[in-house]
Amino acid sequence: MTAAQVNVTAPILEVEKLRVHYLTRFGTRVQAVDDVSFQLREGEILGIAGESGCGKTTLVSGCMGLFIPPLYHSSGDVRILGQSIVGMSREQIRRDVLGRQIAMIPQGALNSLNPTRRIKDLATDMIVSHDDRAGKREIYERLRERFERIGLDAKRVLNAFPVELPAGTKQRVVIGISTLLNPKLVVADEPTSALDVSTQKSVIRLLFDLMDRGIISSMLFITHELPLLRHVSSSIAVMYAGEFVEYGSTEQVIFDGQQPYTRALMGSMLSAEPGQRGKKPVAIEGAPPDLKNVIVGCRFAERCPSVRPDCSQKQQQLRTVQLRQVRCQYA
Amino acid sequence: MRSWLRAHPTLRHIVGRAGWYVLTFFVAVAVNFVLPRLGDANPVDMLMARARTNLDSTTARQQEEAYLAEFGLVHVDDAGAVIRDAAGKPVPTSLPSQFLRYVSLSAQGDLGTSILQHPRRVSEIIGKALPWTLALQLPTIVVGWLVGNLLGALAAYYRGVFDRVLYPIALLTSAIPAFCLGIILVYVFGIQLEWFPAVGGYDDGMVPGLSWAFVRSASYYYVLPFVSILVIVVGHQAIGMRSMCIYELGTDYVKYAKLLGIHERKILLYMFRNAMLPQLTGLALALGGMVGGALITEMIFSYPGLGLAILTAIQGNDYPLISGCTLLVTVCVLIANFCVDVAVGLLDPRIRASHGAAQ
Amino acid sequence: MLKGLFRSPSFAIGCAMFFGTLLIALFGPLVLRVDVEHRVGLAYMQPSARHWLGTDHLGIDMVSLLIKGLRASLYVGFLAGSVATVLGTLIGLYGGYKGGFIDDVLTSVTNLFLVIPTLIVLILLSSSLEEGRSLTLIALLIGCTTWTWTARAVRAQSSSLRTRDHVALARINGFGTGHIVLFHILPYLLSYIFMVFILQTASGILTEASISLLGLGPYDSISLGKILNEAIRNEALGDGAWWAFVPATLLVTVIAFSLYIINTSMESVFNPRLRR
Repeated sequence: MTAAQVNVTAPILEVEKLRVHYLTRFGTRVQAVDDVSFQLREGEILGIAGESGCGKTTLVSGCMGLFIPPLYHSSGDVRILGQSIVGMSREQIRRDVLGRQIAMIPQGALNSLNPTRRIKDLATDMIVSHDDRAGKREIYERLRERFERIGLDAKRVLNAFPVELPAGTKQRVVIGISTLLNPKLVVADEPTSALDVSTQKSVIRLLFDLMDRGIISSMLFITHELPLLRHVSSSIAVMYAGEFVEYGSTEQVIFDGQQPYTRALMGSMLSAEPGQRGKKPVAIEGAPPDLKNVIVGCRFAERCPSVRPDCSQKQQQLRTVQLRQVRCQYA
Repeated sequence: MRSWLRAHPTLRHIVGRAGWYVLTFFVAVAVNFVLPRLGDANPVDMLMARARTNLDSTTARQQEEAYLAEFGLVHVDDAGAVIRDAAGKPVPTSLPSQFLRYVSLSAQGDLGTSILQHPRRVSEIIGKALPWTLALQLPTIVVGWLVGNLLGALAAYYRGVFDRVLYPIALLTSAIPAFCLGIILVYVFGIQLEWFPAVGGYDDGMVPGLSWAFVRSASYYYVLPFVSILVIVVGHQAIGMRSMCIYELGTDYVKYAKLLGIHERKILLYMFRNAMLPQLTGLALALGGMVGGALITEMIFSYPGLGLAILTAIQGNDYPLISGCTLLVTVCVLIANFCVDVAVGLLDPRIRASHGAAQ
Repeated sequence: MLKGLFRSPSFAIGCAMFFGTLLIALFGPLVLRVDVEHRVGLAYMQPSARHWLGTDHLGIDMVSLLIKGLRASLYVGFLAGSVATVLGTLIGLYGGYKGGFIDDVLTSVTNLFLVIPTLIVLILLSSSLEEGRSLTLIALLIGCTTWTWTARAVRAQSSSLRTRDHVALARINGFGTGHIVLFHILPYLLSYIFMVFILQTASGILTEASISLLGLGPYDSISLGKILNEAIRNEALGDGAWWAFVPATLLVTVIAFSLYIINTSMESVFNPRLRR
């Protein structure tokens, strides 16, 4: 995106009524993300929580402009620094958005490094793909400096193959490479799921550090873990069956969830938090609805503990309840 | 020495593999020695049967002893004369001493004398046949490998119509046994349509040499065997490479590279390089098996290579020749396998890492 | 998952082809008159209404020869395939499960057999056996020399299953190695082993055909490879007597091809990574 197009006062990420679907092998259309809207400004960290299959990963793919078949953009807009990316060609997205404006730290980051390529070569590939004018020496210096800054033994790590590095180091390397071009937004998809507790802590600290130093400006954080959600996010969105069912500040959503699903979800996550202690985790019965079918009324109705007769009949909209957005008419 | 080896784990790996291969080699030589001698066929008897027609008994006995000495079946002194026992009969050698003689002579390149084509030496027969086999195998393997891998990679990456057409064809050609295709080609193009000659390596009456006329004639005979092997190699490689590439394209690291915004052509390169390693292994092994790989095809086309030599040897119970050919084939395969082992250990960082870990 | 298999066109084609040939082999003699003993005409007579595929170099009916040869080849293929599969599976299972020294020894033995070219060994063995070569013996020989690939593949699977929880549980409960291998590891590999068996059978049929083609086939029986060998030796190719070798070639091709296709289609169903 050219300097003229970038609008510095706009929110970093603006998602407006985004709908994303995918087509199965047999041609069935599954609406994985349905009418999601939110904004992310500088310094904000949005945590996204929900069951597997609720659409979190599809949502963030959509936010990055990765509408690659079988994933398709149905309707709605995604704007980065004011500029819409849904109409961009794949080459434009590759060149200007991916890695540059938005970077993803994928799930299963430990297998994300090409086993037959040295770290420095992979990182160089990334830089060169966005800016082919830089010389090899310059690039190496940049890499060394950045890796030192994030606490890695640059010389050893850069010249190593992924198989020679321990898990915690690999995670840092992935974070380091993803943020090389100082993206405004980092999407972290379960970044700590395969790590032990102390490594998790250091990884989170690293991410915060990068934010403090201005290397990254905002984050979308997907996780299953309550303590992480609480400590990391400034706001939380709870997702169910492709929709946001509650969206508000961290304290509100975790301790005072208004939507029945939110309360059930928070209750089902184990936590040693004060205030949560003494509460037993409760599993949520049943399974999410099949998104192949068009669903009438509230999608959580079948499993909701406080369901009422007309819940399955009326389409639920997001309403503002006590300073947050809730998708339930009885909240 | 030991501490030096300990410091270089990769070298230890190589030395270890070499040792194992030497052991295997001895087993192979032993197998090559023992198996043909399991049968009743005695080369001397066979030669005598041919020669006996017009020899009187004394000359016959002398001839027999000469043959026995030639094949190492009786002891000879340094001058080459047959050693006799108290009764005046030649002293037979034991099996172990025959084996040692076999090993030492083979190491010097002397593979004995052919029975059928006596007195031609085995090494001479092989020497004449080998270049034909190599001329057929080397180009087909290399070209087939290159073309097949390229087609497979393209099919995996670009998909669509190209893949949908290529895949069934490659499946077809890779599943047809080589000799079946050979027979069909011979019949259709050689006999029915008469576009190409069906049998032989060159026109009758021509003398092998580097004359232009000879090369032209030989090329004409070359086409059918070449095509029959090439088609199968291409199909086989294409299927393999396609599978490897499909696998690589679905890996996490390819996904991540795309997320980073890396150029598509760089990602293609990643896929290629990672899928290539097992294919290179396959190439090296195919080259190693080159000597013995086209036996049946050569036989069908009466192509004057090693295959035909083995066939005639088998039909005539010419076991020195059989032994000599099989030994050559085995040695080539062993060398190729060893080189592949070493090369993969050096090239693949995943395996290099495990050298160090094994300490 | 099985439904996906039945929907696959290559699976259907493969099965149709293979079972077609199997039917001919099994029921041919019941439907047609199969006689390989008596000469019914001159050497290399053209196909006619009475003898659909003419005669061979001895004047024996070609159709009878083909049916007998088909039965022999299938028999050898199945027997060799079974022996190779059983041998390879047992060695692979045991080595993969046990690990350590036993595994190293078994792997070395496997590699030994793997590296020495099987065709060579078979050539050497067969040429020294001469008159002792029966179909069964040949099948056993092939089975005993081609199990290596199976052993390697099964070993890899077995050693990855070794770390599963239910196996550890069985070990804690005091079950012996044999019991664990047979009841806790083998069941998970059944589909894999079945595919392996198909490939080994195809390989057995082709190997026998190759050996027979070279002239080292069964001494007193007829097989498809032997038909081809006799055709080549008696200059059927040059004489244009296509019926003496083309049908046999086609049969071998069809059998090998159908088995490979069945295997490939099973692979793409059971191994989801290869699915797009």
